[in-house]
Amino acid sequence: MQADLGIRARITAPVGARGSPAFLVAGLSTRRAVRSGILWGYIFGIAIASSEITYGRIYKTAAQRDALAATYGASKAMSALFGPAPRLQSVGGFTVFKISMTLMVLGAVWGLLTSTRLLRGEEGSGRWDLLLCGRTTQRRATAQVIVGLGTGLAALWAVTAVITVLSGRQASVGIGVGPSLYFSVATVATAAMFLAVGAVTSQLAATRRRAASWAAVFLGVSYGVRLVADAGVGLHGLIWASPLGWVEELRPIISPQPLALLPIAAFVAVLCALAVYLAGRRDAGASMVADRDHAEAHVALLYGPSGLVVRVQRAPIIGWWVAIGLSAFLYGLIAKSTGTTISGSVQEVLSKLGTTGTGADAALGVSFLVEAVLIGFFAAGQVTAARSEESDGTLDNFLARPVSRSGWLGGRMAVAVMALTLGGVGAGVSGWLGAASQHTGLPFTSLLLAGVNLVPPAIFILGIGVLTLGILPRATAVVVYGALVWSLLVVIVGGFGTVSHWALDTSVFHHMASAPSVPPDWVANGVMLGIGAAAALVGGLVFRRRDLRGA
Amino acid sequence: MSDTALRTEGLSKRFGDVVALDHLDLEVPRGEVVGYLGPNGAGKTTTIRLLLGLSRPTEGRAEIFGLDCRRQPVRAHRRLAFVTGEANLWPSLTGAETLSLLGRVHGHVDEPYRGALIDRFDLDPTKKVRAYSKGNRQKVVLIAALMVRPDLLVLDEPTSGLDPLMEQVFRHCVQEAKDRGQTVFLSSHVMSEVEALCDRVAILRQGRLIEMGTLAEMRHLSALTVEARFDRTVPDLSAVPGVSAVEVDGPTVRCQVRGSVEPLVKVLASAGVTELLSHEPSLEELFLAQYGADGHAG
Repeated sequence: MQADLGIRARITAPVGARGSPAFLVAGLSTRRAVRSGILWGYIFGIAIASSEITYGRIYKTAAQRDALAATYGASKAMSALFGPAPRLQSVGGFTVFKISMTLMVLGAVWGLLTSTRLLRGEEGSGRWDLLLCGRTTQRRATAQVIVGLGTGLAALWAVTAVITVLSGRQASVGIGVGPSLYFSVATVATAAMFLAVGAVTSQLAATRRRAASWAAVFLGVSYGVRLVADAGVGLHGLIWASPLGWVEELRPIISPQPLALLPIAAFVAVLCALAVYLAGRRDAGASMVADRDHAEAHVALLYGPSGLVVRVQRAPIIGWWVAIGLSAFLYGLIAKSTGTTISGSVQEVLSKLGTTGTGADAALGVSFLVEAVLIGFFAAGQVTAARSEESDGTLDNFLARPVSRSGWLGGRMAVAVMALTLGGVGAGVSGWLGAASQHTGLPFTSLLLAGVNLVPPAIFILGIGVLTLGILPRATAVVVYGALVWSLLVVIVGGFGTVSHWALDTSVFHHMASAPSVPPDWVANGVMLGIGAAAALVGGLVFRRRDLRGA
Repeated sequence: MSDTALRTEGLSKRFGDVVALDHLDLEVPRGEVVGYLGPNGAGKTTTIRLLLGLSRPTEGRAEIFGLDCRRQPVRAHRRLAFVTGEANLWPSLTGAETLSLLGRVHGHVDEPYRGALIDRFDLDPTKKVRAYSKGNRQKVVLIAALMVRPDLLVLDEPTSGLDPLMEQVFRHCVQEAKDRGQTVFLSSHVMSEVEALCDRVAILRQGRLIEMGTLAEMRHLSALTVEARFDRTVPDLSAVPGVSAVEVDGPTVRCQVRGSVEPLVKVLASAGVTELLSHEPSLEELFLAQYGADGHAG
């Protein structure tokens, strides 16, 4: 009875008690964006703090730090991957170099996923119509969501900033409050820009998936342009053609350039204003880029659940293949020039990332870590898409017909494994094409095997995802993306410093050999495949026996 | 071959401390149309999800044509088709593609009948699901279920979102299915629909089956509504055996009577009744009598 009264009190409480009804949409969006912002703020802050604190422990003497600066400062491969490294003799310069690019990309992914979820995702679910029946308009509601997203961004920044400031105050780090706060701004700047990009694509595209894909393509192009600009091939001016380049030009801690905030702020302001303007120019539920309401029936692939996956997922799968193939081609293209900067001392440091040797193969060995991360995210996307089918009720259409649960899940995962394998092979072939165009002399089989080598970690991620889908279905996305982000951060922190082998062993990427600089470790790959398959099997068995669960 | 289309024995489902379904014993013979009624949260959808194997029972068992719903779901599903009131389909497919997919998954489609259903439900199959209204999405799931001519139709709020014309089309289709000997298990809040279509009705309250029978049986057990008009003083009926709920409105009196009407008729005749109306309770009245006028279990 007590609980019943409590619920009634919450339901009947006047809205004014918690805020004006006119700002209800902002309140709802704020609640969801802030929750996510705080979580990611912790991840960002801890990544920065761990880098800052471990620096002094690893590079204790001035000679070691000079050697480090000489190593990375001259390496075009590392510059292309992580941005320039001007002042590695300081803890700030080292941290900015080591962690900024990773957090920049993660922040952008958070931004575009959050804004497309709260804008186009809400519209697609039909909840948006309910909100528009209240005291608001399409334009005002969009503006309010953007306010909510901004508050979420503020939460991301605040949590990142608090941890960064606390870390900076450590005696061994010694970074002032002002520089730490500015570094935090630089860290979340891409998140701000891609929140705005997602807000615009949500007006342009008819579905959330399409809106997120278009924003992701923009991110991929931005990363590619920045990579070429930083690759030391005489095109550094291109840095101003990429939003990621603007963030790089903020140069936190070392030589701050706050003027670079101007294009960032202008970009965010213009895109947010554009999103609000476009929202008022279209009907609720419609999109600016016309979507065809009618189509001829194409039923060739629609023979069952697996065929449907191929049909529905083919655009995202092709998108991933293109992203993986293009980036691998790009890495192959610059491998020769960047490889020439790898000296013996660089080789020693790169060995911490698992790469040995010098030249183009060593450069590609490091670069293919990025490819492994891309394929890992691809795998995570496949398993979360399977969970979405369960939570949105579309799976009921199959399981209420003569389709077994194991048949559905097995078919879906078989498609995912094939797509991942082709993605890995594609990365190897594209990398070879890029490298061959520059006459690096790397053999085709070496790069093909390097591509195949990317698949086992992705299968492992897939297996962990299926296990979670079986046991804790509502936690599938958190666990699978959390495992990926953790693995990435651990291998980067471990690669540039000292991390206990216990922590390193928890990173799936740590167990992947850095092919083509070293031959693939087939034993480790077999273990990863075995664990992934076993996890998927257990997950599948549990899935067969449990209730289907909604969102 | 089993003559029972659907059977449950002690079927129960708990979600934590909440008992959603409590030892349900139900039997639906082949060829019968059964209405399954109950207010929101009574356990209707839970029952259907247990029958379909989408949820696992805490206790008890369920069978479709003698096949265990938990252990042999695929074989059981070959014999049935399911319609939900929440049509969750794939937004990027057209109506025709959706019907093709669901037909292939089931394995058998009466193609001419599918075409006829598309015409009768006035569905544009070239349109993408995302462009359909809720009613049109509901038409797609209805056609997908009817076109396979299953032995058992399991319908959970099947006319949700349909306009009155399409509701009539749906009723004709169910009637045709019944005439062909198909079994129908219909969960609905539309009492007129259940009253028009069903041979028997089962009423569920807080997870328990509290009533099951034909409408005639239920009416027999329920009160008859009587309305009488007088040209002189209205007699006091409160003491008449079997009479209850007496309401006086000027020269008119309304009441309900259970059992024999003879004592009431004698009193009314001696009091000089000028007009007399009586009617059996509708299904809606029977349902409300079970739950109270506010719809809550009484």
